[in-house]
Amino acid sequence: MEIDIQGVNMVYPNGRQALKGLDLPLRSPSLVGLLGPNGAGKSTLMKLLVDALRPTSGKILVDGRPLAGNERSLKSRLGYLPQDFGLFDELTAAQFLDYMAALKGLRNAKEAVQRALREVRLEEKARARIRTLSGGQRQRVGIAQALLGDPPLLIFDEPTVGLDPEERIHFRTLFSRAGQERLVLLSTHIIEDVQSVCDQLVVLAGGQIRFAGEPAALLRAAQGHVCSFWERQAAGERSLHVTARVHTAEGVRCRAVAQALPAFARPEEPTLEDAYLYLLSQEERP
Amino acid sequence: MKTMRRFCLECGRLLRSRETWAVLLLTLVSPLAGLWLYTPATGTTMLSVYLANPALAGGVIGGLLFALLTVVEMDRAHRCRADVLLDAVASPLELARVRLAALLAVAVGTTGLALLLWLPAAALRIGAVFDGADYVLAGVLFFGFSLVLCTLAAAAAYSLTQRLDLSLVLVAAFAALSLTVWSDDWQRSWLSPGGVWALSDDFSNSRLFRSVAYARLSWLAALGGVWGLAYLCIRRQGRGLLGSLARSARRLYRPALALLLVGVSAFAYAAQPFYDDSNPDLSAMTLYEQEIAEGVVCTGRTADVRPNPARGTVQGAATYSFQNTSGQARKIAFGINPGYEIRSARANGEDVPAVRTGYEESNMALVEITIPADETVELVLEYGGLPRDWNLMTVQQGDPEISAEYLCLENQTLAPYLLNVAGEGEPIPAQIEITLPAHMTALPFGAQQAEVVRENADGTVTWRYAGAGPGGILYAGDYVREDVQAGGITVQLYYSRKHEAIMRQADAAGVVEAVVEYCTAHYGALSFGAAGTLKLIQGRVRGGGYAAAGASLLDEADFTAANLADGQKGAVPGEVMLHELVHQWWGLGNMFDVETADSPWSAEGLTVYTTYRIVKELYGEEYAQENYVDKWREAVQDYSLNFYVRHPEYLTALPEAERLRIENSLSTVRLYSEMPLKILRAQELVGGEEAMDEILRGLFNREVDWNAPYLTYPEFLDACGLTEEDLDLAQDLDL
Repeated sequence: MEIDIQGVNMVYPNGRQALKGLDLPLRSPSLVGLLGPNGAGKSTLMKLLVDALRPTSGKILVDGRPLAGNERSLKSRLGYLPQDFGLFDELTAAQFLDYMAALKGLRNAKEAVQRALREVRLEEKARARIRTLSGGQRQRVGIAQALLGDPPLLIFDEPTVGLDPEERIHFRTLFSRAGQERLVLLSTHIIEDVQSVCDQLVVLAGGQIRFAGEPAALLRAAQGHVCSFWERQAAGERSLHVTARVHTAEGVRCRAVAQALPAFARPEEPTLEDAYLYLLSQEERP
Repeated sequence: MKTMRRFCLECGRLLRSRETWAVLLLTLVSPLAGLWLYTPATGTTMLSVYLANPALAGGVIGGLLFALLTVVEMDRAHRCRADVLLDAVASPLELARVRLAALLAVAVGTTGLALLLWLPAAALRIGAVFDGADYVLAGVLFFGFSLVLCTLAAAAAYSLTQRLDLSLVLVAAFAALSLTVWSDDWQRSWLSPGGVWALSDDFSNSRLFRSVAYARLSWLAALGGVWGLAYLCIRRQGRGLLGSLARSARRLYRPALALLLVGVSAFAYAAQPFYDDSNPDLSAMTLYEQEIAEGVVCTGRTADVRPNPARGTVQGAATYSFQNTSGQARKIAFGINPGYEIRSARANGEDVPAVRTGYEESNMALVEITIPADETVELVLEYGGLPRDWNLMTVQQGDPEISAEYLCLENQTLAPYLLNVAGEGEPIPAQIEITLPAHMTALPFGAQQAEVVRENADGTVTWRYAGAGPGGILYAGDYVREDVQAGGITVQLYYSRKHEAIMRQADAAGVVEAVVEYCTAHYGALSFGAAGTLKLIQGRVRGGGYAAAGASLLDEADFTAANLADGQKGAVPGEVMLHELVHQWWGLGNMFDVETADSPWSAEGLTVYTTYRIVKELYGEEYAQENYVDKWREAVQDYSLNFYVRHPEYLTALPEAERLRIENSLSTVRLYSEMPLKILRAQELVGGEEAMDEILRGLFNREVDWNAPYLTYPEFLDACGLTEEDLDLAQDLDL
């Protein structure tokens, strides 16, 4: 599957410009991590990709055909989990998935529902009414409905919110497997999720793409710009963008990114989070 | 296939919702409200009471419940934020379509369930006159359509506003409009069909069902169209109302289809075929003041009338023979039923134009035809169509009924009515032929008798009778005839075969004999018992009877099983029938002047009194005293102790519906018990039964002023030589 976002601008009716001249090619198979601060335009981009919004200008091509006018084709190949969603509480998990399978027009709906339930480890809750499920279980039902029918395009917006650490690891693996065959777009605030599984990263800020490429490239860009130091050494130092503070017996140990590392700081190997924050700190510089 | 599966899933989801089951169950029991809470059909036939009103009430309540369910269900996905998931896999438009289809399916299913659920109770309560077709049609048209229309209206409101609260307000306002300002308008009253005032037990209701179906289908098209337009406004792709409309309307067939439906309904509204455009000025006499065709007389007319019972239409050919001594072409004016067309007009074999002037009055459309200057002219008119009723009658739908069970064709509905040409010194001789299904009997309303002249190959029978004058009334139906010799005349009693069991149980023929014998002997012969025969014809419910020379119409509502069991009119069903027949002497309602709302004087007083006298003669004094006089006294004593009679100021403080119920109950006592007691007291004061009979004979045979044909209470008192105070019952009853 190929998605080409070409010169997309999105201005909401209240005048707020959410996306500015976005150009982005997405190719299958791939697991694309979508990162960005709040208000960066991530959700807007996802809504554009699932045809919940139409761009003010520019176009989105799906397998070479414009999305506008071919929504049905896209929707039949899409699994989508938005950040904020609800379920029909009066149905059981299996009934809800069956309902969604019917909406998706799946032929072997029962089999697809069973597989989706298995993948999200909810088989034992298949017959439980949704209103009786915990927040994490509801989130898993949401993921399951997206996985129904093995769609070639999966879009997840903060899918691991509300899940316990064990479940997060399980789903990371699941997404990683999916990304080996399909196009998966994963938007999250949890860099750790992205770091371990994504083969592509897109960083959005202020409605524009700040980085698009492999995680290693982002890491390379931050090489030599990450350091650690004792907080007491950095009094008055303004060039450092502190990313972490750890209280130790010897004092507060800080981790920071900076364009130029001060002499008292010890260079560190950048993590993806450091690289991301370094990228954003570069944007904030005048 | 995919849509079908989605539809089935949506139905399944709906049926797992508690709200759906609550609405379904409440809707199923809602027809009960038609027995006492909401009774728009005022007719007293069994089908009016136990079918029309429950179906209408169920329709209103169920409809509103379904509107609520529709809005709640349409909003459910949005309320529980599942819409973002659903919209990602299917178009919001398609989802709205599937949801609406599922809700409509539940509405239709509920109608079917209600029909099954209430079938035994309705059949039991309605009794011998229960009719499966009437039951299903009333259920579907009065009840089922309300659910469907409300569902459509609510879906349209939600599609337009996308808000639960606003949608509910819109639907409530629209429903209120139907139940208040539009309630009497048969076309505008969308929630519950307007003008359904009675259903016939003994005959058919095809005309009523036709007009109701027409209005319901018109609204279905209208609301379908409105929904179709509102559907285009379903918000999509982050757009507002107008943006979504512009986006969705790009597929032109969508708005085109919606507008087509709205257009069809508007056309159906404007071009309704059931009611005419008669001049609303009821005093207008334009048709009867047409310029007389000087030098022209009509020497005879014939009509060959062929009703189509399946379609409710009439086709006919009428021939008029004229003598034209004027030596000039003359314009002849006809009044035809406004639903008819003159298909051809030929004078002496030549086509002549029949000009419909466009003027309609008193349910007649004026048609002008110019006949040639020939001395003798034979004018042949071919006419026909679906007859229209007078627009006054929209609040009492159901006429003219033309079916295989019953028909009534009056004057211009039977054949074109000659307006400006008279007969040659006498009423125009007429010969009418009518072709009917074999089981129907033709009954010209008058002294003349119809006879079978032909049995046709298609199983129909042609009847012929002679008449006189430009018009005439013809009844036909599946009748049972019983001949009764009484009072020196032959009474031909015709009643519906469907009603036979009830009439025989009430000994209709015996009662007729007793009444006619008694009343003729005591008060005099009926003026309309001409030529030694009197046809007593049971007619379809129409709010009263009427009489002409040789015939009298009995309203079927007076002979329902419930009415015949009404203890206030007679002790046993036969006595109630007796009561109803006594009305042939003591007025048919409009012969008595009710002076004030609380006056006991009406046709009922003298009728109940006479019934008592006949019963006394038939069954003895003790029986009559126990079953009539004692009961009157008891009722009047209870009446005098009634709280609201003693404190009428509290009655006025009650809600209108409750006040009317109590007032009606009190009025019944005054009419059916107090007045007969007063007449009984008058009888004592004037010197006994014979003296009273003499007085009543005088009143019955008085010279009637037809401009004010009322027999007033002062006239009665004057004839007795008594005053109102003389008939005060307080002392007698120790009140």
